[in-house]
Amino acid sequence: MIDPSVLSLSAKALVRTVGDTRILDDIYLDVPRGQSVCILGRSGSGKSSLLRALALLDPLSDGFIKIEGNAFGRDMNAQGLVKHQTQAEIDQIRSRIGFVFQDFSLWPHLNVRDNISLAQRIVLRRAPLEINETTNGIMSKLSITNLADKHPGQLSGGQKQRVAVARALALSPALMLFDEPTSALDPELVGDVLALLLELKAEGMTTLTVTHEMSFARRLADRIIFLEKGRIIADGPPANIIDQSNDPRLKQFFKLI
Amino acid sequence: MGFDIAFVLAALPDVGAASLINAWMAIIICLFALATGIGLTLVRSLKIRAINAVVDIFISFVRGTPILIQIFLCYYVLPLVGLDLNPTTAGIVAISLNSGVFITENFRGALSALDDGPIEAATALALTPAMIWYLVILPQLLRRTLPMLVSEGTVILKNTALLSVITVTEGFRVAQQIGGATFRPFEPLIAVAICFLALNLILVGFGNLLERRNAAIVR
Amino acid sequence: MQLDPTVITDSWQLFVTGAFITLQLSLISFVLGLLLAVPVAALSMSTHAVLNGIAILYLAIIRGVPFIAIVFIVHYGTATMGARTPAFWSGVIALTLFASAYFSEVIRSTVSALPPGQWDSGRVVGMSRLQTLRYIIIPQSLGPMIPPGVNVTIMMIKESSVISAITVGELTYQGLVVQGNTFAPFEVFITVALIYWGITLAFSRVAIWAERRIGASQRSIRPVGGIAERYLTLSRPKRRAEKS
Repeated sequence: MIDPSVLSLSAKALVRTVGDTRILDDIYLDVPRGQSVCILGRSGSGKSSLLRALALLDPLSDGFIKIEGNAFGRDMNAQGLVKHQTQAEIDQIRSRIGFVFQDFSLWPHLNVRDNISLAQRIVLRRAPLEINETTNGIMSKLSITNLADKHPGQLSGGQKQRVAVARALALSPALMLFDEPTSALDPELVGDVLALLLELKAEGMTTLTVTHEMSFARRLADRIIFLEKGRIIADGPPANIIDQSNDPRLKQFFKLI
Repeated sequence: MGFDIAFVLAALPDVGAASLINAWMAIIICLFALATGIGLTLVRSLKIRAINAVVDIFISFVRGTPILIQIFLCYYVLPLVGLDLNPTTAGIVAISLNSGVFITENFRGALSALDDGPIEAATALALTPAMIWYLVILPQLLRRTLPMLVSEGTVILKNTALLSVITVTEGFRVAQQIGGATFRPFEPLIAVAICFLALNLILVGFGNLLERRNAAIVR
Repeated sequence: MQLDPTVITDSWQLFVTGAFITLQLSLISFVLGLLLAVPVAALSMSTHAVLNGIAILYLAIIRGVPFIAIVFIVHYGTATMGARTPAFWSGVIALTLFASAYFSEVIRSTVSALPPGQWDSGRVVGMSRLQTLRYIIIPQSLGPMIPPGVNVTIMMIKESSVISAITVGELTYQGLVVQGNTFAPFEVFITVALIYWGITLAFSRVAIWAERRIGASQRSIRPVGGIAERYLTLSRPKRRAEKS
């Protein structure tokens, strides 16, 4: 259900420099609504940096991001001058992006229900009734209703993962970013994570997932982006990238895994 | 009567010279404190209940009472039990005991973080406890607690200023004397503060040097 | 050596007054020092070179100059600037500066020890820095700040004895007064020491209670067994995990 007429995410000429290194080197990325993208690459290739930069967790040295057509972070006005958004404007758009961290980064001092409802309350300022409905709905959908009163410290890895996803979904985002969703979990749970992401995909959610699990990417992705040294060196459907690539770098990478 | 930097500069030579007394006292105290800390740690490791009970009470007392009171106890009270010490010696004893206690408590925490392995190996090789302490445990311990020891060193340096109260001639007392004689109490105090900051800087610099050499000897 | 307990009992009022003033000094400086520590901590965690530098300079001075010198500098400094401060308030100012430096270090080290992901996870859902601070960072920091915070408080109470040097009537000063009258240093200083000891022990107990209530941090006590236990522990193991 990919809708090419709407771009959930549009990134142009992204550059992130730290010291002398270009961690992200001239990235162009347009993601239509409903597409599932997997970002692959060696460690240090910049894949996590790209995801974080798209969410403006790390500052960009250059480039422009648009979320659903709205400028995010910096904008170019009619005269071609760069205009930086205010923090308030940025925070407004943030709720359109859901981010699931590699280590989940749940808030340990709050129970599961509060983890999911806090941002709804203080960022979106939803009415209490709506918050309740949304929270209950999401917990039920992710089968974590029974964990509502528990604290993150009492949860297993797989449960924390679900809570982290729930927390991100609670703000009704247009786009979900997953940073290495399987790396903090035991191997036997990879299948569960895949099932979860496939379900989101079936519902039409646009997703970007950084992963090193090849089989995961092959089953989930409509499109794979391969990063090396901060540049996208391949971009296409899984079949092209993983199985049929002629690029020696890719062939070596996929043979190794 | 406002602040006049000329008076600070005028006081610096005398105050500075007297601050060197603080410096050498601090060096002596550091050595005694380290010895006391190691000694207390060794005694406690024997785990003789009666001795440890007394030592624990002593440690709680030293940690729970002001250093100034401990200095007074050494100066005014020790003579009554026959130990008539001059002010400088009394002060050195008091501060050495005080820091020795803090050092042994810090050692206690660091000890529990050491690995069992090297000790078990040493025991299997029939090394005596004394040798195990000297060759295996203490070197590691000192290496790991180096930052804490340097920081205790700065505390020792600052505490030497308190000895002015029991009439020891050192930087702070000289600053007070100059202030009394010139009717400008403030400027000499600034001068002595500067001297202590300078000594502190040297101490911390020395500590950093040691830590760098330390880091070269990775575990 | 003859012990004369009447030395103490005749002057018990002075000791009580002294203890009371010690606690007054400590309490006022505690509150003011904590308030002052917050901006200092904020500066010390700032990435701005100048702001950070100010904090570093401030901390270096307060922690590098002997407290007795700070007390005198505050007392005579305010006099030199034209405002004769009563000695009690000079003591409060000095102790406040002392407290602010050490409390700010407690705040800084506790907040820095939080996983950086906590800041990110707040920002990424659209919370402002202030909201992240209020709802995410501060609630998690309060518990872990208690043990070092109480340590600093105990340090303050002990350090306050130095304020006797500018003739403020706290406990040490009263002790010196009684000693001057009775020439019985043993009875006097042991009594004074015991009173301080009692106060600091009471505060340590409060810390243990407070930590239990606000949710103690996980303390991993690595089990030391076998031959190594003989060397690496300084007391016989208790049945419950012992906190050092």
